[in-house]
Amino acid sequence: FGTILSEPLPLTPESLKVSINSTKQCLHLQWTVHNLDYHQELKMVFQIQISRLKASNVIWMGNYSTTVKRNQVLHWSWESELPLECAIHFVRMRTMVDDARIPAPRFWSNWSSWEKADAQNSLGDHPLYVFPKDKLVEEGSDVTICYISRNHQDNISCYLEDELTYGKQLDQNVWAFELKNVSFHRKTGTNFYCKGQGVPEGVVLFVSKVLEEPKDFSCETRDLKTVTCTWDPGSDTGLIQLPSYTLFDSFSGKKTLCKHRNRCDWQVTQDSQEVYNFTLVAENYFRKRSVSILFNLIHGVHPLAPYNLFPKSVSATNVTMTWKVSSIGHNSALLCQLQLLGEGKQHNISVRVNGEYLLSELKPDTEYMARVRCAYADHFWKWSELISQNFTTAEAAPSEAPDVWRDVTFVSGHPTVTLFWKPLSKVHTNGKILFYNVVVENLDEPSSLEVLSVPAPANSTKVTLNQSSYQIYVTAHNSVGPSPASAVAISGHPENENVEEGRVNGTEDGFHMSWKPQSRNATGYVVEWCDDPQNLPCVLRWKNLGPTNTGTVISSDAFRPGVRYNFRIYEISAKRMAHLLEKKAGYLKELAPSYNPEVATINLTSHSFTLSWKDYSTESQTGFIQGYYVYLKSKTGEKCHREFEKTILPDNSVGCKYTIDNPDQKTFVVKDLQPESVYEFFVTPYTSAGEGPLDDFTKVTTPDDYSHILIHIILPMIFCVLVVMITCYLKSQWLKDKCYPDIPDPYKSSVLSLIKFKENPRITIMNVNDCVPDAIEVVNKPEGSKIQFTGTRKSPTETKGTKPVYLDLLPTENYSGPGPCICFENFTYNQAASDLGYCGHFPVTPQAPHCQLGPLTSPENLLKTLEQNYMNSLGEIPAGEANLNYVSQLASPTSGDKESPPANPPEPVLCSEYKMQMAIPLGLASPAPSENSSLSSTALLNPSEHCH
Amino acid sequence: GDSWGMLACLCTVLWQLPAVPALNRTGDPGPGPSIQKTYDLTRYLEHQLRSLAGTYLNYLGPPFNEPDFNPPRLGVETLPKATVNLEVWRSLNDKLRLTQNYEAYSHLLCYLRGLNRQAATAELRRSLAHFCTSLQGLLGSIAGVMAALGYPLPQPLPGTEPTWAPGPAHSDFLQKMDDFWLLKELQTWLWRSAKDFNRLKKKMQPPATAVTLHLEARGF
Repeated sequence: FGTILSEPLPLTPESLKVSINSTKQCLHLQWTVHNLDYHQELKMVFQIQISRLKASNVIWMGNYSTTVKRNQVLHWSWESELPLECAIHFVRMRTMVDDARIPAPRFWSNWSSWEKADAQNSLGDHPLYVFPKDKLVEEGSDVTICYISRNHQDNISCYLEDELTYGKQLDQNVWAFELKNVSFHRKTGTNFYCKGQGVPEGVVLFVSKVLEEPKDFSCETRDLKTVTCTWDPGSDTGLIQLPSYTLFDSFSGKKTLCKHRNRCDWQVTQDSQEVYNFTLVAENYFRKRSVSILFNLIHGVHPLAPYNLFPKSVSATNVTMTWKVSSIGHNSALLCQLQLLGEGKQHNISVRVNGEYLLSELKPDTEYMARVRCAYADHFWKWSELISQNFTTAEAAPSEAPDVWRDVTFVSGHPTVTLFWKPLSKVHTNGKILFYNVVVENLDEPSSLEVLSVPAPANSTKVTLNQSSYQIYVTAHNSVGPSPASAVAISGHPENENVEEGRVNGTEDGFHMSWKPQSRNATGYVVEWCDDPQNLPCVLRWKNLGPTNTGTVISSDAFRPGVRYNFRIYEISAKRMAHLLEKKAGYLKELAPSYNPEVATINLTSHSFTLSWKDYSTESQTGFIQGYYVYLKSKTGEKCHREFEKTILPDNSVGCKYTIDNPDQKTFVVKDLQPESVYEFFVTPYTSAGEGPLDDFTKVTTPDDYSHILIHIILPMIFCVLVVMITCYLKSQWLKDKCYPDIPDPYKSSVLSLIKFKENPRITIMNVNDCVPDAIEVVNKPEGSKIQFTGTRKSPTETKGTKPVYLDLLPTENYSGPGPCICFENFTYNQAASDLGYCGHFPVTPQAPHCQLGPLTSPENLLKTLEQNYMNSLGEIPAGEANLNYVSQLASPTSGDKESPPANPPEPVLCSEYKMQMAIPLGLASPAPSENSSLSSTALLNPSEHCH
Repeated sequence: GDSWGMLACLCTVLWQLPAVPALNRTGDPGPGPSIQKTYDLTRYLEHQLRSLAGTYLNYLGPPFNEPDFNPPRLGVETLPKATVNLEVWRSLNDKLRLTQNYEAYSHLLCYLRGLNRQAATAELRRSLAHFCTSLQGLLGSIAGVMAALGYPLPQPLPGTEPTWAPGPAHSDFLQKMDDFWLLKELQTWLWRSAKDFNRLKKKMQPPATAVTLHLEARGF
């Protein structure tokens, strides 16, 4: 600097050497500048050009300014984004003096010659290389990767993780891949690999997440000796290499490397530095983050937690708490806060080394928790952590008399008193109750005292007394002493139980009850009841009330709906004597009856019966019984009896219902019933909540009644018989005509008058020999026809030679000959038709006369019978039935054989072929009344006598 | 037919029983149980390695965790190679067979411990440490079998203690490849050992059936 240069110097860079740092992917340049004077220093500018692949392909040009000494070796580096192994690089430079001492104009020197940097020369003989070897990058940045393949034929594909990646060709063997915005995959890096036919090659990109600035950086000291700074480092960078954290104090110029990523300790030196300007520097390969605070040592004291907190001299109401604190600095004081949990009070005490404080007005036999914490007294910044200690105060005598009640029963005139007391509340026991003392004082004999000791936790005892007045005192004792005494007076005589019982309604709160005071000197009232009256023995409960009370609400968790509770209200006199004031009964909630009474049926008669359920207790039900419903069902009909109303039962059947609204009426007479009838009844009580459950109906059958039979059966029968008899009497003739017409007597027939055979009046019935086939005779014509009716049976021989009679209806009684046969003379029959039929005999036994019995009584029936026989003739006609025979005149040769036996009858089929050939005159068929009409109306045709 | 075959087989076994030296000695069970235990341990380690390798290869990332990744084995000559020609394997005697097993696991265990030191996650380190302990047990078991059969243990040559220190030219990718090969070779060795001990086990027993072995490298 001693000489001022006046002209430009021809300074050129010399000995330029280029080397490659593969790890950092840097081109390292070193050169010297000759021709400088000794001790001369010049500020110079070097212009550098870098070419890739070939010298003419300049990819970067820049200036580097520095001060240069003579023969100084200069260094400069250039980082390549493309891995240097992937391409040949060329470097050259020129220089220019840029020193103010050198006047302008200034000239650039000549370019140095191109220096080549070829990393591929140093590669081995592997077929495939991927560069850079490994790289640390920050998330979101761009990376260029290339591969060099020695085998031109190999088809190489490259992948980022598992995704195929496409690059661009740099050289014949070289391909480059630009990876944009690389992301973090795992701590072991992101894999980029290429594979051809050989071993895959690849690189691992270690991607770091962006380093965050530390948050919530703060410092404090626990003992004025060490400062601890903490911060939130934020999310992990995701690399195995963690970022470094350094704490630096700009005032002292000291720094410390932190051992943890979120906390650092700074040792306070002995000098009296109170204020620090701390800077926390977080640093990794890519970034440096820092945060600063100004820290005053005195203002950041966070004392350590106190220790050895103990209770000392514990009594029933007082305790002294002691504790220790860690000393801070130079005899500094701490402010400690003592809390008694549950009390809500805090006591502040200044402490240097040992703390002590008296806590008073405590409850006896109570467990407490004391807590203490401390802060720096000179400058409060932060409480220390709390420490706590439990202790229990000592016992004291119980503070209140037990609540005592009694139950007096008289056994053989002697009162037996059961004393009950309630356990004292925790507030009043002041310790564990060990026993109860019961002192019985006979007021009539002042000198006599009886003392009973009942061990806890008993809550009752029984005392038998004489018929004197007594005063009983009960005290509770713990380890310290007795409680005040409770007094109960007993008169020794039965109480007056004759008080009216009222009812009380239950609500959700309990039973609201009130009473009327009887005396003005009452010192209080007691309401007593049983919690579970359904189960014995009674769990006696009571409630003490002051003299001003005339009402209260009795509630208990034991109260249940549907249970009857009986309350007794006593008035307590000034002498502690109890007098029964009122009785009340009530339900918390009334329910419908849970069961029905068992009903007995008594006094059963044919018209009534009585139902009785005397055993049904109305007291122990689930509600106040208001009455009963009597349901009745009868089989006879749906009509209800008097006083019953028709109702539909729960099972949808129809019944009759009678309401008894008096709960004490436990009998019911069912009247106006039918004898010998089935009735069903069912009785159920009802409360305000409803009636009892529907049970099965009970059946009752009313007994028999004979007068009923007399009236309803026998009398109508008699009446009917009489009517029939009268009717029969009045209509007997008509009936006879209708039912049993007289068989006409042929001898009395008018026809006879037409016959002029006076010389032989006996010959009345025609002979077989007289039958002229197909002879037409008109009976009722006097000019030639002869019809003879005979009432007596004639032998065939006798009738031989008589005049022919063609139609004969002959009633016979004892005929045993051939069966009857009805022969019709076919007066109008022509020859052709008559050829088909003939008259024949048909044997009919007398045992089967019924065949023509009825139908022949009238011509209509006769015709019907004929028709029937005709129809039957189509089939086979049984011998007994085919007794209506058509007698054709053509059949005379056969029929004329009157001697022929009945065993040889004509073909019945032919015989029954009847054709209506003539209408029989009514008068002809009508029989004349005769003595034979009373016989059976069997009309028999005697073929031997009529088919002549 | 089958039942007659089994009966014949059983008769053969019973007939041959006095001929088995291990069974001739009364009171001394011989190497049989320890061979069986070694065989069982080998199978257990095979099972254990399947789970461990899955986790570790996922930790390395693609392509190492891809099921079809099966690169040529180059550049890992330091690892003891399990694959061997079938004829060569058959020609091995028991002593040589056991010695090779012992040496292989000694080396593999050492490499595996190096792997454990590098693992970045605590869970993986736990799994690797557990596996190393099991492998140490297998090594002891093989040593026990060798001692029972009267074979001396191979002495490690001084200065040849294998290390898992990658050279400066060793890239992280190649390191991952080495890890991959270590696990794969370990698996092949365990498979081969199972065959070895099975063969040895049967050899100690009457030769009921012929042992056929087909050695091949199995993928993960």
